[in-house]
Amino acid sequence: MGGACSRKRDQQVDEDSQHNGVSGRYCKSGSSKWLAYSFSRSFSDIKRRTTTPSLMELCIYKVCEDINKYNSFSMLPRDLSQQIFDELVYSRRLNDVNLEAFRDCALQDMNLGECEGFSDFWMDVITSQGSSLLSASFAGPDVTDSGLSRLKDCQSLQTLAFNYCERISDHGLEHIAGFSNLSTLSFRRNNVITAQGMAALSHLINLVKLDLERCPKIHGGLVHLKGLTKLESLNINCCNCITDSDMRPLQGLVNLKALQLSSTKITDYGVTFLRALHKLELLNMECCLVTGACLESLSALRALLYLNLSRCNLTDDGCDKFSKLDTLKVLNLGFNEISDAILVHLKGLIYLESLNLDSCKIHDDGLVNLAGLNQLKFLQLSDTEVGSNGLRHLSGLRNLESLNLSFTVVTDVGLKRLSGLSNLKSLNLDSRQITDAGLGALTSLTGLTHLDLFGARITDSGTNYLKCFKNLRSLEICGGGLTDAGVKNIKDLASLTLLNISQNGHLTDKSLEAISGLTELMSLNVSNSRITSAGLKHLKSLKNLKSLTLEACKVTANDIKKLQSTDLPNLVNFRPE
Amino acid sequence: MAEPSQSKIKKEEMVKLISAEGFEFVISKKAAMVSQTIRNMLTSPGSFAETEHGEVTFPEISTTILEKICQYFYWSLQYASGKETEFHIEPELTLELMMAANYLHT
Repeated sequence: MGGACSRKRDQQVDEDSQHNGVSGRYCKSGSSKWLAYSFSRSFSDIKRRTTTPSLMELCIYKVCEDINKYNSFSMLPRDLSQQIFDELVYSRRLNDVNLEAFRDCALQDMNLGECEGFSDFWMDVITSQGSSLLSASFAGPDVTDSGLSRLKDCQSLQTLAFNYCERISDHGLEHIAGFSNLSTLSFRRNNVITAQGMAALSHLINLVKLDLERCPKIHGGLVHLKGLTKLESLNINCCNCITDSDMRPLQGLVNLKALQLSSTKITDYGVTFLRALHKLELLNMECCLVTGACLESLSALRALLYLNLSRCNLTDDGCDKFSKLDTLKVLNLGFNEISDAILVHLKGLIYLESLNLDSCKIHDDGLVNLAGLNQLKFLQLSDTEVGSNGLRHLSGLRNLESLNLSFTVVTDVGLKRLSGLSNLKSLNLDSRQITDAGLGALTSLTGLTHLDLFGARITDSGTNYLKCFKNLRSLEICGGGLTDAGVKNIKDLASLTLLNISQNGHLTDKSLEAISGLTELMSLNVSNSRITSAGLKHLKSLKNLKSLTLEACKVTANDIKKLQSTDLPNLVNFRPE
Repeated sequence: MAEPSQSKIKKEEMVKLISAEGFEFVISKKAAMVSQTIRNMLTSPGSFAETEHGEVTFPEISTTILEKICQYFYWSLQYASGKETEFHIEPELTLELMMAANYLHT
């Protein structure tokens, strides 16, 4: 039968995107969050199955279900045993016993980051894949130096990850030197690796991507990367031992495209060593000790697209140099001491698509400088002093897709200025001054998919306007003014996957009945209301529900567990628990 | 191709799938085309023998497996039209069926 080698290796390991939306024990990482600059709500991004399962999928599920009946898959074509293996890992059913069936299967990928019960004993089966093995990842305290050393038979390895492996030491790193084909290596969150152990990395001349996030003892070790001129991506976020002197060896790594340095001790002086990185596209210096003076160095980076300088205690001093960073598409300046004075220097950054000014001292007048930034898709103005008058400067930004005005001083009268932003998909108006009248001014924004009115004072009459937003996937109205009558206006928003109507103390079981047709819902919160356990029966139709929060209601954890077991198999998070 | 029907009730277009042992399964073309491989055989331009006669021989698929596959084709159509039942697979057939599914892009 043909097709044995037909499977394309299109699912290479990429640490953050491993399994579609399922968060596991070891996937928490802040390193790239700031890049997901729009629509980062966790629930709406999970793709749901809408197609018919293929016969192949059904067979794979069936094999996994009966896994203990199989002694060996080595007679199967490699791509089939690979798919069985991946499904077992994904469904967390891989264990000491059934792993044995994969001995000598010539598997290419063994990504065990989420598996429980790992021991060095597993290494035997892993190394039996020999030179077929291209990618392997491990996580957790059960992986040891001696386990790592046994991988030496897998000379073809291109991708290797030992994240959260606190027992891997410098001694284990020595064995890494032999993997000359490695292009991707990751040792996140390791408290013992030092500069000495990193000497082994100098042999990895094919390394393209290196991730050492949260390794607090690697100071002095980057010197061993000097000759790794193929390196394109280096992540040393949260390595708080890293200082300016560690930047010096990076200046020759001219192929670097992405450099993550957040929460290190780097200052303006350290940044001067980066000037020669003419291919650098992404630089993350969140929470570093830099000032406006580093902008002079950054202006030499003519390929720079993404820059994160949030939480750096930047002031207006020296910030005139921002005008030189005119290649930027994404700029994060949130949580700095900067004021309107800085915005005039952003005026010429015409390629900007995303600008984050969260919690900066920005007022209405400053926004005039943003009026010409026609490419802007994402604008974050939360916790600024921006009010209704400032919004007139935004009304021409026709490409805006996401606007956050929470905790500003914007009032209802300003919102009509937004009515022409027809590309707007996400709008955050979490603010006490916003009322029904403000919502009424926005009914032309029919493309909205996310609307946050958390603290806004919306009443039942205001909910009539919601009927205009047929595409809404997430909605939050928690200002206390809703009754059951208002919830009836939500019942036709058929695309909703997230609904938060907590803190509305008058809602009763009738509200649950009203929304029982919203079968796309994955997350529902009706806390602090008069919901009772008798109302839970109305939720039986919400088969996609993963998260249900009914705190401070007349509902017990047992009531919800019962509902979970009989009708809501997908429910994973619930409160009370 | 099937003969154009003379009867009043328009007959569905049928195809014939032949197993390794020579057993013939006559099923609707629509069902057979659930398989990407069969679809390509039946629809690709240039006259493949399969296109012309509406017949496909599978020298490497046993009768038992081919029968199961035909069942899947009809199940799949039903499922797609909203009737979401379970498709039962006998444990002893699973691996062989899986290899066939791989070949048939199903």
